[in-house]
Amino acid sequence: MTPLLEPQTPRVTGFRMKLVVAIMLVVSGVTLLALYLAQRRLASSVEDDLQREFVAELDALERAREVRHAMLVERCRSLVRRPRIRAAFEDDALDLLYDAAQYELQDVMTAPGLRAEFYRFLDPRGGVIAPPGTPSVGALTAGEQAQLALPAVPATPQVGYLPRSRDGADSISEIIAMPILSSETGEPIAAVVLGFEPFEFGRRVRDSGMRAGIWLAGNVHGIELSAAAQVRLADVVGRASSAPVRLELDRTPHLVFAKRLNPESQYAAAFEVCVFPLTDLLARQGQLRWQVLGAGAALLLAGLAASHIVAGRLSGPVEQLAVDSEANRALRRRAEAALEMTSAELQRSARFSADASHQLKTPVTVLRAGLEELLSRDNLTPEECHEISALIHQTYRLSSLIEDLLLLSRLDAGRLKLEFSVVDLSALIEASLDDLSALPDELEVTVETDFPPGLRIVGEKRYTAMILQNLLENARKYNHRGGRIRIAARQDDETVVLAIGNTGRAISPAAQAHIFERFHRAAMGEDVPGYGLGLNLARELARLHQGDLQLVRSDGNWTEFEVRFRVAKTPVMPA
Amino acid sequence: MKPDRQLAGANRHGSPACAVLGLALLAFLALLSAARAATIEGRVTLPKSRATPVVNQRYEIVTKAGVLSTNPPVAVVYLEGSFPKPATPPVTQILQKDLTFIPSLLPVQLGTKVEFPNLDDTYHNIFSFSPPKRFDLGRYRPDERPVPSQTFDVPGLVTLRCDIHEHMRALILVLATPHFVVTDAEGRFALTGLPAGRYTLKAWIDSKTTREHVVDLAADTTLRVDFP
Repeated sequence: MTPLLEPQTPRVTGFRMKLVVAIMLVVSGVTLLALYLAQRRLASSVEDDLQREFVAELDALERAREVRHAMLVERCRSLVRRPRIRAAFEDDALDLLYDAAQYELQDVMTAPGLRAEFYRFLDPRGGVIAPPGTPSVGALTAGEQAQLALPAVPATPQVGYLPRSRDGADSISEIIAMPILSSETGEPIAAVVLGFEPFEFGRRVRDSGMRAGIWLAGNVHGIELSAAAQVRLADVVGRASSAPVRLELDRTPHLVFAKRLNPESQYAAAFEVCVFPLTDLLARQGQLRWQVLGAGAALLLAGLAASHIVAGRLSGPVEQLAVDSEANRALRRRAEAALEMTSAELQRSARFSADASHQLKTPVTVLRAGLEELLSRDNLTPEECHEISALIHQTYRLSSLIEDLLLLSRLDAGRLKLEFSVVDLSALIEASLDDLSALPDELEVTVETDFPPGLRIVGEKRYTAMILQNLLENARKYNHRGGRIRIAARQDDETVVLAIGNTGRAISPAAQAHIFERFHRAAMGEDVPGYGLGLNLARELARLHQGDLQLVRSDGNWTEFEVRFRVAKTPVMPA
Repeated sequence: MKPDRQLAGANRHGSPACAVLGLALLAFLALLSAARAATIEGRVTLPKSRATPVVNQRYEIVTKAGVLSTNPPVAVVYLEGSFPKPATPPVTQILQKDLTFIPSLLPVQLGTKVEFPNLDDTYHNIFSFSPPKRFDLGRYRPDERPVPSQTFDVPGLVTLRCDIHEHMRALILVLATPHFVVTDAEGRFALTGLPAGRYTLKAWIDSKTTREHVVDLAADTTLRVDFP
């Protein structure tokens, strides 16, 4: 075998390589795809988390601002209802206004918590009523004070933001202009503007690093940002999107959120600007990327190892298969060669048998004719007559043998094709028994039959009869004096079983295996005539009938053969 | 309702019916004492009432576009001229009761001292930012003695407020004449005991509206003047 395998090894190795590469490709592809998706998902979930955190903080800030704003407005509203302040406007006593306010607004200017930084009154046209030089109103520069003015007295509280310089530092004040309503008509007759320190101004909110500032007139207050960053921020503020926007500020990505602080206010628009640095996010994402990459590499290595093993495992049987198939091919080639040879020999021998038989038939016929003519002479002695008769009988035997050989040669050559029709086996048996009884019976054998009439089988009548005759002949030949023959037939489902048994010496177990071989005559003794072709012929014919012939029993004093035929479904054709 | 003790022509604490009755009584007395005094009767056309008058009427001071008036509307009719100051300053009262001023519109002669007793069980803090008289009485309780008061020396309209109760409002019309009267709710009035001569009769309707009519008064005559 080994020499046969040599040229196959490179092909098997190639197969293994291809398998490894294919598995690697699939594993790498799947791994990379999975990694990519996992990374994207994780990254987006981290970003979502962060954004959610940001939005939650914004919401908290917003709620706190709203509460504070409501408190401020309520406080201012209670201030402007004070009778002295109303009296100053309603009773034409503006000169008493700031004096009264000093008394009435004392608590708001000194209270801890929501302490006001300054206040000014607006006249009915919205202009600022200049305070007397008392410090209690809170210091403002002339420019700052001028910015408190409104085009008209507002009907509702107006929120604005005033950039200021507080102790030289950039700062901003939240201002609320609260209308002073007439006590009877409810119409605004004046307003008071109070300035407060803005909520959470410039303070880092919690530990997240979010910074909140106020965007006013193109400048951001409360957050340290470069001019370029302010310009970029202006764009976000201009859009006034309600969702956080991702923005690169000073080479660091930020989430930026801008919201109008004083919608519908008569004061200049101010925006709350919340800036959330994404450095944390980037760090987390970077870390995540490395983790995912590491995991991916490990996975890939494991995949490669697995693919190697799997490829080895898979290619093993394939290698074996290749080896086996190569061996099989060699075997087959040999078998085919042998078969061809055998077939040729068989053909040759069959042709020879056929030729020989044909060549023999004529001389035997000539011989018989001569002998018969010799027998018809009158001058023969009874002994001569007997001798010649015996010789004639021998020619018949010879003819029969030649017929059998011819038939066998045709069988061997595969040239015998049966023409199936329906055969009435019962009638055929009866006919055979008639023939049998016509023969000279030296042994005085009794015949028992056991078969129903009308058993129909598939076959060609001529050859069916031949099987029957061969078996019956054997049963008679190998019987002993006063013995018996039993013929039984029955239908068994799709088959008809014909059993022919006879008394007589049993066939030895050693011989039983060979009785169907050609020219085998067991140890029957030379006293029984025959050439050992009958059983072989009968079996061949039975098989041509798509049935079989078997020895079912041969022991003691009984030998029994069994033939199986196919049952014919259609009724018997008239013969 | 407290009796009106001091001042001829002082109204009767916001009740027009009482005021008319008082006026009639005073006119009768004046006729008896000064038989030669003149009388003006008439009617001031008042602005439409802004609210349905309630049975137990009180005036409340309302501001409309900076104009103070009473609701339901009443007018103060007075004779302008040069009259001598009273020898002793008249004294009158504005009560603080049930978180309102009673009366809510009080005409007084120049130099009158007005007392402001607190009849509620709570603090009141009366003040005025009005140019004719600015004052602040501070917080005081009903048992405050002497009863806080102010003397009104400058003619004009004074708005009284309470610093604690922002809705409380009253008007004091300081006049340089002893001859004045508050009309009833229909605007009817009668001024009696007037000196003869040529005067200007004025009707104060609200803080921005004062109508006037020149009258020649003769002794023992009753003049009818209707303000449109």
